[in-house]
Amino acid sequence: MAKQDIFVGVEVGTTKVCAAVGESGREGTLRILGIGMAPSRGVRKGEIVDLAIATECVHDALAEAETNSDAEIVSVSVAVTGGHIRSFNSRGEIIIPEDRFEIDEEDVNEVAIKAREVNIPSENHFLHSIIQHYFVDGQAGVLNPVGLMGRKLEADFHIVHGVKTRLQNTLRSIRENGIEIEEVVVNSLASAQAALDQHQKDLGAVVIDIGGGVTDYIVYEGGVVRHSGVLAVGGDHISNDISMGLRIPLTRAERLKCEEGSAKIGSATPGAMIVLKNDAGFSGKEIEREMLNTIIHARVREIFELIRRQVEKEISPHALGAGVVLTGGCSLMRDIQEVAESVFDLPVALTRDAGVSGPKSVLNNPQYSTAIGLIKFAQAQRAEEEEAGLVGSVVEKISGFFRRRN
Amino acid sequence: MISYPRSSPSATVRLRILGIGNAGVHLADRLAMSGDAGTDVVVMNTDAQSLTSSVVTQKLALGPKVTRGLGAGGDPEIGYQAAQESLGEIRDLMKDVDLIFLCGGLGGGTASGVAPVVAEMARESGVMVFSLFTSPFSFEGRRRNAQAAEALGALGRQSDAVIHFENDRMAELAGPRSGIEETFAAADATLLSCVASLAGILGGGAPLPVGLTDLLSALGGGTSRALFGQGTATGDNRAHEALEVALKSPLLDRGRLLNESHAVVVHLSGPPSFAFAEVAAIMRGVTKHVADAANVFLGVTTASDPSTPVQVTILGNYDREAGGDPVATPRRSTEPSTQIAPASEPKRKPRPLPIEETAPPSGEEPKPLFPEPSEPDNRPVAPVRSPSVDAKPRPRTKPAPKSKQETLQFESVARGRFEKSEPTIVEGEDLDVPTFLRMRGNKP
Repeated sequence: MAKQDIFVGVEVGTTKVCAAVGESGREGTLRILGIGMAPSRGVRKGEIVDLAIATECVHDALAEAETNSDAEIVSVSVAVTGGHIRSFNSRGEIIIPEDRFEIDEEDVNEVAIKAREVNIPSENHFLHSIIQHYFVDGQAGVLNPVGLMGRKLEADFHIVHGVKTRLQNTLRSIRENGIEIEEVVVNSLASAQAALDQHQKDLGAVVIDIGGGVTDYIVYEGGVVRHSGVLAVGGDHISNDISMGLRIPLTRAERLKCEEGSAKIGSATPGAMIVLKNDAGFSGKEIEREMLNTIIHARVREIFELIRRQVEKEISPHALGAGVVLTGGCSLMRDIQEVAESVFDLPVALTRDAGVSGPKSVLNNPQYSTAIGLIKFAQAQRAEEEEAGLVGSVVEKISGFFRRRN
Repeated sequence: MISYPRSSPSATVRLRILGIGNAGVHLADRLAMSGDAGTDVVVMNTDAQSLTSSVVTQKLALGPKVTRGLGAGGDPEIGYQAAQESLGEIRDLMKDVDLIFLCGGLGGGTASGVAPVVAEMARESGVMVFSLFTSPFSFEGRRRNAQAAEALGALGRQSDAVIHFENDRMAELAGPRSGIEETFAAADATLLSCVASLAGILGGGAPLPVGLTDLLSALGGGTSRALFGQGTATGDNRAHEALEVALKSPLLDRGRLLNESHAVVVHLSGPPSFAFAEVAAIMRGVTKHVADAANVFLGVTTASDPSTPVQVTILGNYDREAGGDPVATPRRSTEPSTQIAPASEPKRKPRPLPIEETAPPSGEEPKPLFPEPSEPDNRPVAPVRSPSVDAKPRPRTKPAPKSKQETLQFESVARGRFEKSEPTIVEGEDLDVPTFLRMRGNKP
């Protein structure tokens, strides 16, 4: 029984492939057993451009995760991202037939289908339709309409969709390793599970996951997803900006960003210089610290401003009581918090472990938040299925049991 | 030869509408039935049966000896001979009028053969001629189309203005699923409303009339194709809705073809409550579609009946020969088949048309019979037309690609490692270009 409720989350990121293995406890608690990570190649802006190399990287990460957690990985949940992913809110509406007044499960399913009856490009595929609110006969704020009396059932959904073929590439890099896929979750939704607790979701919060190639963001308010999006700009862009602005090789720019860079301007002593030592193929250089920070600041500020404009279209940022939560590898950038605060005019926090136990080093690292969030998402999904009915859950458990053993 | 001086001082234009051939009779019938009693309508046909069933009281059977009242059998030469036989009666029709409208469907025998003769006769009598004709559907065969094109060319030389409706375009007025009857009816209805509104434009005065010269300037020019759109509406938003319907006419190609027209007549009619602001709003909507160099003639009439709907009529000519063609042709799929088009004078001869064998020197060319060279009344129009050719907004397309290329080059230089990846364009900016570079570019 020990390893039955094991969940694995895999994120194929632009800079690294990260696999997290977690174990579900009796009261819905979650313990991280181990993490596997491998630097990724063949991925650009969150999307796979070289399948063979990316598959290898996924293999390395999974192998490491298996060793660290002492568990056999059979099936995983996967996070997907990319500039092609789009989202919008849509309302579905159905009229309950004349002969009954009570709303049942079927009606709820039907209204979800109705909400999906919208025009998305033919090559796109629905990733999520996340329920926001139900309305029964115009009465707002109904959380669960099953069993209520009413003539008309409406429902608001947040719908996420993306280009099918491009989503398939990420999934293939995992399937090629002989691993089954349980859930496909959009990156921002997964990160939010790790970054926010229920209380923050109710109060309202923006989660910004700044990764290597893309920045994912999601807005929660009143406990539901109000908005989400992907900006195909990330840490790689900062490195690229530095490399171009200071005329240094990209690898040095990357290192400089992590070791010396800060997102704040005006903090460095005027005239302070950073000496870059010479290296093979690089003759060494002295650069001004303020110059470096200016380049970083411009990019980071722009990312936040773009997101703020997107968020403002949907909801006033001041309605978000829990403020902004930053996660992803780039949130390790020095002083990034202050930039975000000045842009959003909201309290900004760095991600922390939300109801998960495990090695401290893992939980405090925002690089792992997507993978951990995936585990939480899958766990919640499983719990929902089990609630659906005793028979259903038994069948599910047995089939799940076999699936996992095979 | 009886010549009547034009009674120009009189305010109203004495108008006579001649329906020629089966289509013309049909149209005249509808016009007569539509109730405008003041209109002077005459039908003429080689087919006695069609004349008998017509409700129009003034009838002229053409060439009773040539055709024995059995029709022209689709041969313009028979039509021509019939017209020659009835020359005296036709000439009589030119008495006491200033302007005649010739209406019909070209391509068959009667209209194609008779109409040029009638137009010639009218010109001799000093009567102005407006020719409103439909050309056959392209599926009606090459021969009919060629006959129509030939007749149209002749009409272009003899008429003061030719309004030419291509049936293929008219078919778009009816839906793709509609029956053939329905489609013909839609085409007829358009021609009818065009005749009716032209008559209305010339007949009605206050407060802002459209003069005959305005019409000639807009519609003259020989062989071009008619642009015609009409919409009526009532209610709060009547001005906007009427304009919308008028611009939606397929003959205007949703307003796009107006841009190619050198002169446009806009006629608005409405109830006494028709407001100045509404007129201004409609005109703003129209001028958006009209080329800068084009002449826009506005006419407004108000009826005394308050229940009169607001009606917007847009008339113009789209002259393919004047250079609009190469630009406009690729847009419309129906175009190529219909373009067996009317020749302008210099081009007419070399065109190998079947009609030249069947109807030797006589049929399609009234010229040798009437030795005096046809005075081209279109001449005053010509200067208007040629500058508009130059003024056509052609160069607009040229600078665009150039500037585009420049930006592209700039971007590819500045994108660094993302040069080969799909660009990330958000809010009009390429985010792969370093932010500090873009900010620097925006500042000065």
